[in-house]
Amino acid sequence: MASSNNEEESAVKEPLDLIRLSLDERIYVKLRSDRELRGKLHAYDQHLNMILGDVEETITTVEIDDETYEEIVRTTKRNVQYLFVRGDGVILVSPPLRTA
Amino acid sequence: MSGGGEKGLGATKTPADFLKSIRGRPVVVKLNSGVDYRGILACLDGYMNIAMEQTEEYVNGQLKNKYGDAFIRGNNVLYISTSKRTLPEGS
Amino acid sequence: MLFFSYFKDLVGREVTVELKNDLAIRGTLHSVDQYLNIKLENTRVVDQDKYPHMLSVRNCFIRGSVVRYVQLPPEGVDTDLLHDATRREARGG
Repeated sequence: MASSNNEEESAVKEPLDLIRLSLDERIYVKLRSDRELRGKLHAYDQHLNMILGDVEETITTVEIDDETYEEIVRTTKRNVQYLFVRGDGVILVSPPLRTA
Repeated sequence: MSGGGEKGLGATKTPADFLKSIRGRPVVVKLNSGVDYRGILACLDGYMNIAMEQTEEYVNGQLKNKYGDAFIRGNNVLYISTSKRTLPEGS
Repeated sequence: MLFFSYFKDLVGREVTVELKNDLAIRGTLHSVDQYLNIKLENTRVVDQDKYPHMLSVRNCFIRGSVVRYVQLPPEGVDTDLLHDATRREARGG
């Protein structure tokens, strides 16, 4: 898969190109079990294993109020300096908005 | 081999032909979790990893998020369907 | 191979491995293999009150597939090196 046309390095020909172009940029990652990450992408591989820096994790939990049976949505956040993320938990990755 | 040059979706022969033919088209991607993503399909690969543009995330039919570009990891994909998308309002 | 190599270089450092069942274990990285299975030594569970049965566990083998995150020591992250390795991997992969 070695591409010979280097002048087209910024083109998106396969989905992983989207991730490649986000290297050293802050990205949004949606994970299984209602977790989201925002952080700077420092490394990734074809499995979507990643190393993120200055990470903010958001965990969303839904509780049912005992009396009113209303759904209470809670989000908890925490920050981690450097995080390795195993790719099998990844659902979606969104790069920062690019000026096309 | 046959049908490779066909434009019309009705003429596609195999799933691979279908996937080739829908690049650049508005699609709905449904994940195993039930969440829908609507947007323009930029490209996809053999793992069903998907790159989409102008992506909208729908949970239980309700718009929850918008992403300029989105990469969806293929193992989460239940199906990809072409859609006639009405132009997004106000954008 | 990128992350296998990366974790091999991290051997001897303190990491926190967070599992998909929410258990978080801190310990010294003893070894790693190509599946990113991990051996930790001098382990302690981060939330000991919640997992008292783990009190006596001093070292453990963690199957790679049950890992959600690994918190990395800042001194064990060279971002320039990672960028280069990632670009090489993207070309070759």
